[in-house]
Amino acid sequence: MNVRSQISMVFHLDKCIGCHTCSIACKNIWTDRKGTEYMWWNNVETKPGTGFPTAWEDQQKYRGGWELQDGKLRLRSTSKAKTITNIFHNPSMPSMDDYYEPWTYTYGDLFNAPEGADQPVARPISQVTGEYINIEAGPNWDDDLGGSPVYAESDPNLKNLTPDQREQLFAVERLVFFYFPRICNHCLNPSCVASCPSGALYKRGEDGIVLIDQKRCRGWRACVAACPYKKSFYNWSTGKSEKCVLCYPRLETGQAPACFHSCVGRIRYLGVLLYDADRIEEVAASPTDQLVDAHRSLVLNPRDPAVIAAALANGIHESVIESAQSSPVYKFVKEWKLALPPHIEFRTLPMLYYVPPMSPVMAHRDETTVGGVSEEFFHDIEDSRVPLQFLANLFGAGHQGKVLYALKKQKAIRTYRRAVTVGDIPMDVATAMLREADCSPEEAEAVYNLTSLCTFEERFVIPPMHREEAIEMMRDPLEHKGSTGFGFMESPRRGL
Amino acid sequence: MHPAVERSSRPWSHSPSRCAFRVREGWRHVALPGAALWALCVMLPVPEMLAQDVSVDFRNNCQSCHTIGGGRLTGPDLKDVARRKERSWLIQFIQDPKSMIDAGDPYAQELVKASRGVVMPSLQGMTRLRAEALLDLIQAESQLSRSQFAGTQVSDRPFTPEDVEWGRRVFVGSLPLKNGGPACMSCHTVQGFTFFGGGTLAPDLTTVLERYQGRKTLSAWLSAPQTPTMSSLYTRAPLHSDEVLAIVAYFQSTLARNPDDISPARLNFILVGLAGTLLIMGLLDVVWGKRFRTVRRDLVRKKRLEIAHE
Repeated sequence: MNVRSQISMVFHLDKCIGCHTCSIACKNIWTDRKGTEYMWWNNVETKPGTGFPTAWEDQQKYRGGWELQDGKLRLRSTSKAKTITNIFHNPSMPSMDDYYEPWTYTYGDLFNAPEGADQPVARPISQVTGEYINIEAGPNWDDDLGGSPVYAESDPNLKNLTPDQREQLFAVERLVFFYFPRICNHCLNPSCVASCPSGALYKRGEDGIVLIDQKRCRGWRACVAACPYKKSFYNWSTGKSEKCVLCYPRLETGQAPACFHSCVGRIRYLGVLLYDADRIEEVAASPTDQLVDAHRSLVLNPRDPAVIAAALANGIHESVIESAQSSPVYKFVKEWKLALPPHIEFRTLPMLYYVPPMSPVMAHRDETTVGGVSEEFFHDIEDSRVPLQFLANLFGAGHQGKVLYALKKQKAIRTYRRAVTVGDIPMDVATAMLREADCSPEEAEAVYNLTSLCTFEERFVIPPMHREEAIEMMRDPLEHKGSTGFGFMESPRRGL
Repeated sequence: MHPAVERSSRPWSHSPSRCAFRVREGWRHVALPGAALWALCVMLPVPEMLAQDVSVDFRNNCQSCHTIGGGRLTGPDLKDVARRKERSWLIQFIQDPKSMIDAGDPYAQELVKASRGVVMPSLQGMTRLRAEALLDLIQAESQLSRSQFAGTQVSDRPFTPEDVEWGRRVFVGSLPLKNGGPACMSCHTVQGFTFFGGGTLAPDLTTVLERYQGRKTLSAWLSAPQTPTMSSLYTRAPLHSDEVLAIVAYFQSTLARNPDDISPARLNFILVGLAGTLLIMGLLDVVWGKRFRTVRRDLVRKKRLEIAHE
């Protein structure tokens, strides 16, 4: 057992209101420089939709992530030989058009235009070329199903849905969508790190944050092609690639990353997970239907004495282990099994998990009254407005089991809480449903508390980063001993 | 014995050389890279010419245009030149002919006219001492009944088709030069000649015989070529007198052609270049056939078409 610690995340999709505050918080801190205008380290997509860059989930086109060949993991986009043969042209490279050409407006014209009969307008200009442009796409072009005949209907997750299911997704009065905020997943088996010919990408040992060394990056952009989530971006101005840094300077000072901190819906949770690094390769190569379970089995119980001993032996600080014990992520992923990794079939073992969304209740109308279609208070999960298979393609590698489990448990907890607070559902029905969903009343309360009443400190359990110890490796803490105080710039004169 | 052959028997180190490379046997078969390397040699810094035997000096630097008692070549016969003009003028002229011509010296102008506008090249490292030694040599040789510099004995026999064919082979390099020099085609071309034509570094030689006023002058020039590029190549690997004859025979055969005709060689070059470019591009398209192509634009275009059909 090779125990390591990873700062992991959970996004609770049922709580996301799609306000993009996270994206703006991130943009204002990290990507408003020249060359980064088109980057969105954090973005919020509408599902169904094609996202950013367009149809990024379609690895037939983008060739990101890993695939199994004869039981061995291989990068889809590159290999040692291809690094050489594709040295002048990487055939798996998305172009800026697949993201969008960033633009601003000639706001000055609104004030400086000469007096005339027409109202002055601000025309869009490209932030790359500085020329006037015709805006064809944006980072969130299909927001709230905008342009859905083109974008939403081309969502790669619709691929194995029946025609009926597809139709109902877009049928009037059934039509539904949810939001899917994304940042770098800081994967356990990152294909970006594996693909870099310069060795510029690395996964930080102490917290698992994946970073690009700006000094070593040579702009090959292999990481851009290799990341299946398309969360590594090329800065055309500096000639280097950049990606989400999980706001590590904030984490190191005990603050939550900007997108977490600013989240209006409080959908984001952050905490340490301990995992077994020895089993990464084996887990990443599991058969598709076992991937979610295998991935979950990598996460170790931070209260298990054997795990604690192994963690201490590996140099993990006691305070980090304590932090792992109160990690909200551990509860969502391991104890409650509510949170699932996105597109685990890319085999990068993402460490950002999602609680799949319950669809809005399906209603029908008889003459004068509006009622639910289900006999139960909430709709039947199998008959959700978002087809189960669609969610399974996103969060279960195409297999519905885990998604069904998570949704049924959520429904049972809601029913139980309804029985407790409103009382229009008999308690025995509620507890029976809880039992059926593999949940105890205590667990239901805990989930309810962490979902609805959670405080800042409960959502973000940030381990101490011990920079004060790390800095000693680079600088002598006694460097300035005896050389500060009075009398150094000007010696005091004696006497009156 | 012909002076060129005699010279070639000298050890390399004694021969004045502008080239840092030694001629290798195999190179004469490789016309084009050879030419490039030779051109490189010419660009290398030139060391100060070493003091040397004055008759060697004359042979290397004067003989291709002048004789002593052998009649006019490109330049005048130098027999008794001292009687025609005072010594100080001659020394000044030898050291820097161009500036004297440019200064409008009447006798110098006359000389240029007589040699059909060919200006005597200024020789590098031509000191006053060297010029004086040369003049002394000319005076001494003028006294002899037959000077060793009375000119190459060029055979007067009419050229045979065999001479022309031999000359052609020497020109294109299919017959290596006896002393290992590079083939003419490395840098020169003549009209109506092979698929791609010859080299384009140096002038077209179709009517060179006419420019050099006949067989005798051209033969003398070829025996010890004086332009900077050619002298650096052929001083250490001179043409054999038989080869000179054959080449001149070949140039006589090309006189009938018009150097201003548009050569099919140039057209061939452009066509083959175009075809090659297309071929390489096609090949790259096949190799990278499964490359990433635009996603969003395709998506929008296809969906628009679909919707338009409905």
